[in-house]
Amino acid sequence: MKRAGLGFAVLLLIGFSTGPFLWSVVTSVKPAEEIYEAPPTYLPEEISTESYTEVFARRPFGRYLLNSLIVAAGSTLVALLAGSLAAYGLARLGLPGAGGIERAILFFALFPPAVLLVPLFSVARQLGLINSYLGLILVHAALNLPFVVWTLGAFFRGFPREIEEAARVDGFSRLRILVRIVLPLSAPAIAATAILTFIFSWNEFVIALTFMQRDAMRTVPVGISMLSGATVYDVPWGQISAAIVMTTLPVVAAVLAFQRWILRGLTAGSIKG
Amino acid sequence: MRRPASSAARGAARGLLAVLLALALVGCAEEPEGIRLRFLDRPDEGGAWAEILSRFEERHPEIDVELVEGPTSTDTREGMYATTFLSGEATYDIVYMDVIWVPRFADRGWLLPLDDRFPEAEREAFLPGDVAGSVFEGSVYRVPLRADAGVLFYRSDLIEEPPETFAELVRLCERHQDPPDRHGFLFQGQQYEGLVCSFLEVLWGHGGRVLDRDGRVVLDGPEGHAALDWLVDLVGRVTPEAVTTYQEEESRHVFHEGRALFLRNWPYVWSKAQAADSPVRGKVGIAPMVHAPGGESSAALGGWGFGIASSCPHPDAAWRFIEFATSAEAMRILNERNGAIPARRALYRDPELLRRHPHYSQLYEVLLRSRPRPVHPRYAEISDAIQMHVSAALVGEETPDEAIERAGDQIRGILDR
Amino acid sequence: MAWIYLLPAAVLLLGLLAVPLAATLPAGLPLMPQLFGDASLLQVSGNTLAFAGITVALELVLGVLFALLLNQPLRGQGPVRAVAILPWALPTAVMALAWRWIFNDTYGIANDLPVRLGLLSEPVAWLGRPALAFATIVVADVWKTTPFVTILLLAGLQSVPDDLHEAMRIDGAGPVRRFFWITLPMLRPAIGLAITFRLIHALGIFDLVWVLTGGGPANATKTIALYIYDQFFRYGQLAYGAALTIVAALAMFVLAGAAGALIRGRARG
Repeated sequence: MKRAGLGFAVLLLIGFSTGPFLWSVVTSVKPAEEIYEAPPTYLPEEISTESYTEVFARRPFGRYLLNSLIVAAGSTLVALLAGSLAAYGLARLGLPGAGGIERAILFFALFPPAVLLVPLFSVARQLGLINSYLGLILVHAALNLPFVVWTLGAFFRGFPREIEEAARVDGFSRLRILVRIVLPLSAPAIAATAILTFIFSWNEFVIALTFMQRDAMRTVPVGISMLSGATVYDVPWGQISAAIVMTTLPVVAAVLAFQRWILRGLTAGSIKG
Repeated sequence: MRRPASSAARGAARGLLAVLLALALVGCAEEPEGIRLRFLDRPDEGGAWAEILSRFEERHPEIDVELVEGPTSTDTREGMYATTFLSGEATYDIVYMDVIWVPRFADRGWLLPLDDRFPEAEREAFLPGDVAGSVFEGSVYRVPLRADAGVLFYRSDLIEEPPETFAELVRLCERHQDPPDRHGFLFQGQQYEGLVCSFLEVLWGHGGRVLDRDGRVVLDGPEGHAALDWLVDLVGRVTPEAVTTYQEEESRHVFHEGRALFLRNWPYVWSKAQAADSPVRGKVGIAPMVHAPGGESSAALGGWGFGIASSCPHPDAAWRFIEFATSAEAMRILNERNGAIPARRALYRDPELLRRHPHYSQLYEVLLRSRPRPVHPRYAEISDAIQMHVSAALVGEETPDEAIERAGDQIRGILDR
Repeated sequence: MAWIYLLPAAVLLLGLLAVPLAATLPAGLPLMPQLFGDASLLQVSGNTLAFAGITVALELVLGVLFALLLNQPLRGQGPVRAVAILPWALPTAVMALAWRWIFNDTYGIANDLPVRLGLLSEPVAWLGRPALAFATIVVADVWKTTPFVTILLLAGLQSVPDDLHEAMRIDGAGPVRRFFWITLPMLRPAIGLAITFRLIHALGIFDLVWVLTGGGPANATKTIALYIYDQFFRYGQLAYGAALTIVAALAMFVLAGAAGALIRGRARG
């Protein structure tokens, strides 16, 4: 009985999460005429790959995917490195005014990227960071940093101090405690933060649009905004749907890999015992 | 179990960092010799720009013009131009702009006046509305390239003569419609720029205006009231309620499927309607928008043209490109490869073009009557006020009278600030 | 010495964000009084607050349920978790286009499906009426961002020790009681975090609305971020945009911080 209820709940969850996405999948494999059939067909009468070939024919979509991957992975890495150090410093090292600093960091999360765009662009240009991966990586990392600091900080505080103190008695340095003990113990928090940060960067539009002016440097969301139909007014639903599917699958694969790798280890982890 | 995973993670992290640093260095490209000019447009459909640029560079090998392909959304590209100009950077030397950007860009000093290079005598060769929309405070800032104007499409198989007045249009709808299988009249009713175009054509057809010649707000005069009354009265009677969700394509699809008698839209609808697999092939006619008895039809002017950024270090080279890109030769290429409607009048007497587009003779009549939307540096705010209140009237949040009064007051407030 | 830990973060935040902010915002200070006479501001603030309140509440409820569900020992747990994250993985601006298509009155399944099932007698113009359009963006946002809450809470659930549950089970406490007595209090830090960051994101909602409704009809879905964007990029009112930004950021800081702190309570200690 309980099993059945649980199974039903899982089905509901899957339906909720995939419904609109599945509709994109269906739309992406319909031939152009079928997309505009009213009433719509739920299973394509005919499977067509034209939307997919069209996306690659019109734009260097593979290159966009690669760019997005580099930027998202890079900014996640930078944000986690800088963020875990800061979070540990604020949570554990007894800095005066740590609470105030943490709140000040949160303040940076409040500004929509669009507001910062013009001055950010000027700064990046002076530093020669336009059309370079590094520029976008650093900006995305900075925008994600408040979130990373706060999330990791909350988890670091949840640890019993005894473990760290025992390690100090054993002569471990603070940095070594962070790297060898605190970070491995925070695996679930780090995995969650990494996934959320990665996807934020993967999806960010307005800064990526402004920073990357050469087509070969553009990221996926910008590339999708450049998909077009035969005329100025056309909205190419088939191509957009195909692009949605192709953009999402790598992320799902990455999440799946992450799960196996980190979240699993944690269930057997030492925090409970 | 955890140890191998975390050391693998460290290895991966180190590798990634090395790749990132390498890539950061690759990011910087070397600048070539000679003059290089850039402009931003949507992606190059049909390769028209590629052909124009290569022909230009054959003639001017010392000038290298580059098209930066941007998003298809006009608003997004406007934001991209604005961002680079605001940060004082010469990313774009040539500005390919929508007619409604001209006053604001000129007012902020982002554009070079072209009065000497583009004298009155030469402007005669272009459609008058397109030239009028390129002028701000007595100076010209833009050379028109592609024209666009609001048109009334009708089902020529069902309606013998297109209507001339507002009342006739409604009468024909009521006689021939059969909703929801066949609606009467469709326009663009979502809260966005297209709604302003739809509304202005009705306003002008009633003899009204937004601003008078001295720049005073006259939108809420009797003509404005009559215009909005008429538009709001359509909804639920000859126009489906879903019109408040329609942009160009939503409304076109309904018409294209044969489910409407009349459609206000841009000329691009025509070639789609004439495609081999179109349900309304051979059944569509073009007419100017209707007007009040004794009034005259007008069309909202859309359209694109070139200006020179004031930050451009090589204005003479930029002008040489603009001269070529707005020549009849370039307009023919754009027309052939992506259906752009030429802004030069002479092309409407060109037998080759007329053979390919028999409807251009009717379209020319509409283009001659096209009028720019209010030419004002704060047009975006004026447009938003109109959008908001016309939308509110269409969905019944405000009565037409309230809506037009409030829109008028709001625009007065904007101009006073 | 310990300050060194903050150095990388400080360089990133101060170098990349503080400088642009310092360059943009001070111009707005003299224009602050103008904000009081701005009727549009009142409307967009109301819309934004309503939107943030409703979406965050819904996301929290759904997120807790999903996280509890995903924390159960299930076969295929990994793939199900990955599927649960799917909506968050889709680029907002692009997914908003897909929603436009889904809510289309003629071709969209949000009409066709209910009509076929007999739930609606005729198609509805979902984005065409103020209240419906508002509900539509709420649905789209809840769908998109519930996974954000789910993931944070799922990570939080990992730190709830099993032996506490075990002890209470032995004392005869049912699952509902165990949830309110153990799980929820232990989740407080994670819930506080989720609320803080979800409120910040929801109060700054932009892409979704921009693509889906453009703020219409009748400005019913226009939010503060759209209004600020217009001031900067369409109206060219940089100083006024800056004034708006300062006030909006302060209000968000207070709201999001207070709501989060209230939940986290003394857990921060």
